[in-house]
Amino acid sequence: MKIVVAYKWTSDPEEATVGADGVVNWSRARPGISTYDPVAIEVARGLAAATSAELIGVTVGAKGVGTPLAAKAALSRGLDRAVIVEDDSLKGAGQAELAAVVAAVVRRIGDVDLVITGDSSVDVAAKMVPTVLAGELGWPAVAEVTDVTGQPGALRVGRAVPGGAQVLEISGPAVLATSADATTPHVPGMKDLLAAGKKPVEHVDLAALDVPASSAVMTITGRARPARKERKHQLLDTSDPAEAAAELVKALREVGAL
Amino acid sequence: MRCDWVHGYWVHWQWVRCEKGFGMSVNAWIVVGDQPAIGNLITVARSLGGDGTIAAVVAGPRAVAETVAASGVDRVVWCGTPDGSPAEASAPAVAEAVAADPPRVVLGGRNPGDRVLLGAAAAALHAAVLTGARSVTVGADTVTVVNAVYGDISDETVEISGPVALLLDGGSVPAASGAGVPIEEVTATPYGVKVLETIPSEFEEVDLNAAQRVIGVGRGLKAKEDLSLIEALAAALKAEIACSRPVAEGLNWMGKDRYIGSSGARISPQLYLAVGISGQLQHMVGVTGAETIVAINSDPNAAVFAQTDYGLVGDLYELVAEITSVLK
Ligand SMILES: Cc1cc2nc3c(=O)[nH]c(=O)nc-3n(C[C@H](O)[C@H](O)[C@H](O)COP(=O)(O)OP(=O)(O)OC[C@H]3O[C@@H](n4cnc5c(N)ncnc54)[C@H](O)[C@@H]3O)c2cc1C
Repeated sequence: MKIVVAYKWTSDPEEATVGADGVVNWSRARPGISTYDPVAIEVARGLAAATSAELIGVTVGAKGVGTPLAAKAALSRGLDRAVIVEDDSLKGAGQAELAAVVAAVVRRIGDVDLVITGDSSVDVAAKMVPTVLAGELGWPAVAEVTDVTGQPGALRVGRAVPGGAQVLEISGPAVLATSADATTPHVPGMKDLLAAGKKPVEHVDLAALDVPASSAVMTITGRARPARKERKHQLLDTSDPAEAAAELVKALREVGAL
Repeated sequence: MRCDWVHGYWVHWQWVRCEKGFGMSVNAWIVVGDQPAIGNLITVARSLGGDGTIAAVVAGPRAVAETVAASGVDRVVWCGTPDGSPAEASAPAVAEAVAADPPRVVLGGRNPGDRVLLGAAAAALHAAVLTGARSVTVGADTVTVVNAVYGDISDETVEISGPVALLLDGGSVPAASGAGVPIEEVTATPYGVKVLETIPSEFEEVDLNAAQRVIGVGRGLKAKEDLSLIEALAAALKAEIACSRPVAEGLNWMGKDRYIGSSGARISPQLYLAVGISGQLQHMVGVTGAETIVAINSDPNAAVFAQTDYGLVGDLYELVAEITSVLK
């Protein structure tokens, strides 16, 4: 049995800056494993251990996603090996394109029973890569997954839905997107990092993959920094909390917020 | 034309009915899962212009297809989803229906099930996928989308030649309009996914968008019991209580429909009061439309203060109690 975890190596837009022209500057942002992907790896590790499955990490992206440091960071979280597509033509690739490349990697690995992903990536946060990936593979997708047990062919999947939760049974291969709070991932220790250095990493050429051509061509023709409401930025003196509270209430009454 | 709340903004959709001024027709599909919450999608599809048809494909129960059939769309296809199967199981039928009559634009809401159906349709069409559309303009050969990216820090204008799948806020359940259209039933072998059990949430549902004043609670609150302090303030302010994502997901102190941000609710109240919230991008993007923002945080360097009208540096326990007593 093989379980794939699709993870992303990227940066948090919190650390990016935006020019007046809307161009995003990432130079001060430090890339890492996307915030929620360790949750996916942890959930997958649990299932892999229970079913004696091989756990394979897959990432695709522009140059940098497959450096030894990046691969080790992913492998140290409990993957058995990694398959990486690193190609600058994927810089700024859309969700559909990334999903199609991941699907091609999953097909190439072969005999994969399950793909597990995080909730959303820290940079784009579109929540669409797992669902398009499932469409490409012809597999069902389920999002907001909180736990997975059972065997391939008879998986039991807990998931959150608006207004509650459900337990599902899935009888074939599937793509599961974990919820942000499915589990608390462990922090890899020195031993994990040392072991990660010895795990196999396969780099696959994008050109060697069977990626179906997209019917849509996207061109970015403009960028702008969105207009934001001007804020007052008034810090109230809180040395006397009662006075600060009175001052706040007065100000809120004046602007009609109360 | 003014349309629903889309991606955190009141948007004047600048739909160009037809760039060249002749009767171009723009066909759109709407994918629908377990809930017919597609009011906004219909508005957007309708505004795309021309005399094109709006078709909806429903993977939820038959009752959902009936609501959609009476909502003003031109065509409804129901996937005949078997009882006990989630909408996701019918993704193959959805993809087939959409691919059989390929649209310029396919629209879906942000519910987990709707996202899966939109992904299946997008894959079948080999379409582009965008999730932050502020406006969509359909031209003769291209579709132009102003798309908010990276937590809405930048708006990209994207020109797409070929089909495009847009993930948008679904909006409310549309009111019935007229007699409705007949329901076409299609079948395709569903995926082997069965619902074994449904567990209702322990929390009451809330519509944060209806509230004029909202208090957002963050991880600065030390214990669930301390919510009583916030409830007292909410009563005095006549405010609804909301939270940051970790308070709902992780701490589990409130329902998921109460967290604000890029993955949660986007609200535009008169007043937003952030209590013990650090002010990270993914949270604050949910309140950019608020008229007045107040923050209480013990850390003078908290990012939240750069995004507020009134900031109070200090202990929330002390300040919240004082504000409550002033209001009383
Ligand atoms: C892809 C992605 C999507 C996300 N989507 C969302 C989203 O939709 N919504 C969302 O909210 N988050 C979202 N997040 C998480 C977000 O990045 C932040 O981690 C989260 O908002 C932080 O929550 P917080 O401010 O409550 O907690 P913290 O960041 O831990 O902040 C707690 C604050 O409380 C203050 N504090 C502590 N004690 C006191 C006291 N006694 N009095 C006053 N202040 C005190 C501290 O100074 C601190 O600033 C997302 C993250 C990712 C990666």
